[in-house]
Amino acid sequence: MVSMRALKMGLCVLLCLSAIACGGSDGTSGGGTPPPPPTSTVNTASVIIDGGPSASSGSVNTMFTTVTVCVPGSTTSCQTIDHIQVDTGSYGLRLLAPVLTLTLPVEMLASGGSLAECTQFVDGFSWGPIATADIQIAGETAKSVPVQVIGDSRFTNIPAECSGTGGTEEDTVSTFGANGILGIGPFESDCGDCDTATHGLYFSCTTSCTDTTVPDNLQIPNPVTHFAVDNNGAIIVLPSVAAGGASNVMGSLIFGIDTQSDNASGTQTVLTVDDNAELLVMFNGQTFGNSFIDSGSNGIFFADSSITTCAAPANDPTSQIVNFYCPASTLTLPVTIQGMNGTMTNNLTFAVGNAINMLENTDFDAYPQLAGTLPPGNAGSFDYGLPFFYGKRVAIAVQGAMTTAGTGPYIAF
Amino acid sequence: MPIFQSNDLKRAALGVAVLIAALLPQVASATLGQPEITVQTDVELAHASIKSSEDRTGYRVHEIQLPSGTVMREFVAPNGNVFAVAWQGPTRPDLRQALGQYFGAFASAPRSKLSDRRHVQIQQGDLVLQSGGHMRALSGRAYLQSAIPSGVSLGDLH
Repeated sequence: MVSMRALKMGLCVLLCLSAIACGGSDGTSGGGTPPPPPTSTVNTASVIIDGGPSASSGSVNTMFTTVTVCVPGSTTSCQTIDHIQVDTGSYGLRLLAPVLTLTLPVEMLASGGSLAECTQFVDGFSWGPIATADIQIAGETAKSVPVQVIGDSRFTNIPAECSGTGGTEEDTVSTFGANGILGIGPFESDCGDCDTATHGLYFSCTTSCTDTTVPDNLQIPNPVTHFAVDNNGAIIVLPSVAAGGASNVMGSLIFGIDTQSDNASGTQTVLTVDDNAELLVMFNGQTFGNSFIDSGSNGIFFADSSITTCAAPANDPTSQIVNFYCPASTLTLPVTIQGMNGTMTNNLTFAVGNAINMLENTDFDAYPQLAGTLPPGNAGSFDYGLPFFYGKRVAIAVQGAMTTAGTGPYIAF
Repeated sequence: MPIFQSNDLKRAALGVAVLIAALLPQVASATLGQPEITVQTDVELAHASIKSSEDRTGYRVHEIQLPSGTVMREFVAPNGNVFAVAWQGPTRPDLRQALGQYFGAFASAPRSKLSDRRHVQIQQGDLVLQSGGHMRALSGRAYLQSAIPSGVSLGDLH
């Protein structure tokens, strides 16, 4: 009893501290529930949803962690970099050259060319060489891992084939919105068959750069798969967040599944994904076959013409806000997610709030009810972004990973 | 007369050269909004192949298989002009080529703190451009609103 009471008191203190830290005690100004207690094991890194690096403040629903990189083999030429975005929708560690103080060795192809990559994101591209680094996150280490150095001043001639893929050139912290990105999606690499096929991703650079195939071991991997241990996936644990939003939401990024006491599979819904890391979402009487759960998307994106979209403010007619939903009152909508294994979620709902009202509070950076449109022509996608992760423990198992819950690639929660 | 003929020929040749010069930048760098012949230019420049050409009610679709694994579809209106381009695959195609004069709208899309690695929807004048998906599976389309033949559903343009 005594210990129970002590626990409760401790919890109360934590709750109070949390409320104070978040600038309000009336329960309406955010903060959400406190993060899960920190674990002391070396397989856990902390994550935060905050405004992003100072050079690019104002991030919305973007989760960051901290990564240490070293020149391969060195224990002294190392740098710890914060505000690395945690992205379950991509693969590989990519660092923005302007924040990197180390000189990491650039990979050379057998042909004599330096290896560079044109990384395509939905809204643009990033260009830079592939270098080798030792990576440390929490207590996990991976040796001599290919990473991309984005915006490297030694590689300024972006091939026309790269810029021609369109969108914004995201080669600065400001345009990228982070100091780097940690892609931990459920596959081992960012390409798949770049050892035999060219996709306009990897380039061999001498005086100019040309599209090239790349041996597997030189391609950018999901770094988790290169950890010495705990290398079969990762688990993201985030607290639930108040409906109106919150600031500085903290959680955990746990490496490995069923490899330690803190990452055991429990009774959960295991949804396997297809070769594109996609699954099915049933919503509003429709089945969206190219759907995905993606911590790197900053909202919940789907087509529903019955929900009012936001109006652009008069002083900003090109505002991106028009692609978000602004219902008069919050909607709670049922949704079913189905894995390729046929397993379906039960009684899952999500909320769509008024994006303009939410984003008015610029002190916040985590918004669980932020949702927006996807064009009906991009048929069949339901992009379930970071709001999916709030209040959940989500495991992402890499392809081929054997866990007690099943074999990857899967997402379980 | 021979001299005049020669001059006429020179003038004619010059005229053709000027015409070609005037046309080339467009032919070599545009498809959206341009005549159907530019579909072939896209195919040749991309070292691709036309997988299928299908006549649908009110328009024709050329499906182009790119070496990268990406499939591009170009939609041609009854007046012979390309009114929409769509793509799906591991990487985006050469949109500078496929979008021609409209490419700049994507490259300089307005951004805000809401934009980071989120799908893109641009409406600029007659152009609508949408880019979505995620790494290893990117998709999108661009179309000219005023050029969509009557009776064609936006849902068919993918």
